Amino acid sequence: MAAVTFIASEVAQGLRRNLSMTLAMIITTAVTLGMLGAGVLVVITASASQDKYDYLNEFRVYVDRSISIEDPDCEADCATIAEQLESTDGVATVEYKNPTQTYEEFVDLFASTDPVLVESTSPDALGSRFTLTLTDPTRAEAVATELAAVEGIEVVQGQGELVERVFSILDSIRNAAFAIAVVQLVATVLLIANMTQIAAFTRRTAVGIMRLVGASRRYTDLPFIIEAVIAAVVGAVLAVGGLLVGKSVFLDRILDEAYRANLIERITTSDILLMAPVLVVAGGVVSAVTAWATLRLVVKD
Amino acid sequence: MISVSHVTKSYAASARPALSDVSVEVGKGEFAFLIGASGSGKSTFLRLLLREDRADSGALVVAGHDLVTMKPKHIPVLRRSLGVVFQDFRLLQGKTVAENVAFALQVIGKSPKEIAKVVPETLDMVGLGNKATRRPHELSGGEQQRVAIARAFVNRPKLLLADEPTGNLDPETSEDIMLLLDRINRTGTTVLMATHDRHIVDRSRRRVVELVDGAVVRDDARGTYGVDR
Repeated sequence: MAAVTFIASEVAQGLRRNLSMTLAMIITTAVTLGMLGAGVLVVITASASQDKYDYLNEFRVYVDRSISIEDPDCEADCATIAEQLESTDGVATVEYKNPTQTYEEFVDLFASTDPVLVESTSPDALGSRFTLTLTDPTRAEAVATELAAVEGIEVVQGQGELVERVFSILDSIRNAAFAIAVVQLVATVLLIANMTQIAAFTRRTAVGIMRLVGASRRYTDLPFIIEAVIAAVVGAVLAVGGLLVGKSVFLDRILDEAYRANLIERITTSDILLMAPVLVVAGGVVSAVTAWATLRLVVKD
Repeated sequence: MISVSHVTKSYAASARPALSDVSVEVGKGEFAFLIGASGSGKSTFLRLLLREDRADSGALVVAGHDLVTMKPKHIPVLRRSLGVVFQDFRLLQGKTVAENVAFALQVIGKSPKEIAKVVPETLDMVGLGNKATRRPHELSGGEQQRVAIARAFVNRPKLLLADEPTGNLDPETSEDIMLLLDRINRTGTTVLMATHDRHIVDRSRRRVVELVDGAVVRDDARGTYGVDR
């Protein structure tokens, strides 16, 4: 108990005496962790946005209207088509949607962007549809040729080339964000190491005396480690606050059109809040380990 | 209390060893001077005893601790059985006299109750009972050294190492510090004092170990400083 009180008072003194340094450390960890967090958000958003473009890779097979109306549950003529599709070489999965389902899907897709179109389309206007995914997208042409022989359907081919371009853009954005995040992490580690060294240097007399009178490393190192962790955790909390403010004040406005056109996945408050504990814990652990390792190097036994 | 046998220590920056084949035994309760000019190896010798440095070769046993085989994590245990005093006092300027002395007990986890009892006793013993709340810069050099001695002695160490404790003090104050170290020695604490204060050594007529260029050249039971070298 006496040890806890003593270390706590050393920490409080250290933070107070080196106030400007503590503030510098809080601000810089806030900035680096904030950028790290922003990088992670970009990675999450880019990955989530890719899902939006998956449909471009699919084959859509529209069943003739007459067959759709006569056989909505796909038990007669439609079932024959389904068998033919499934047995086609290169097809991985076959998913069936009846006319009611395709209409619901159409309503979902256009309800917010084009309500007039939805209103002017009757529920029985759309037929049933199969969606095919391929075992190997590069074999799309061969599959298309084979499907051409099947009667009673109209095939719309996926747009592999466009998908590749969209994915490569999203991939580069994600990779760049990840690279920046890694650089930020390295900068954070170096910064904490510097701060700990300076803190240890300014208190070298006290630490030297502590070592001389037989204080264990726990006593000499813990105050510095706790100070670094406190600064990093406060910095991480500020970083999360900054991300929340940045999201609502800037991002939501800048990306508003892209969100409404459904081009990219929306960055939500819960995305940031879910990441918050990770940032706080990561900040705390990184600062503790860095401070500990730095003290091993700069404080003699 | 101190058993040093055939110890050699070199530093990379110097071609000549700082200590060369040094052997010294200091028994329990003894008072010994370690004398020699600047650069003769006195401070290196004390640093080895404190395990601030490691010897290149030879055997060192201090207060029952074998310093050659000692692991770094056990160094604090060694230092708790020692007290150390320096020429420059090494007090914490931000703390009061009592806090400086208490610091030595706090960092080894003593209870506040015990600290509250022992610190005033020790300050009384060194004659600073009435200055417990002062800060170091408000004290004279002699008083500051008394605080340092109080801090070194508050844990009742078996061995007190003093590195030029009178080096910054006038002769009269030095005399007072010597009386204090003598009193501590009479409580049973072994005292090893490095000094080049001729006057003090000659007046005390105690054991004198002399180092010249890192080697022991003389070990007299009741010695004097001797001729200038």
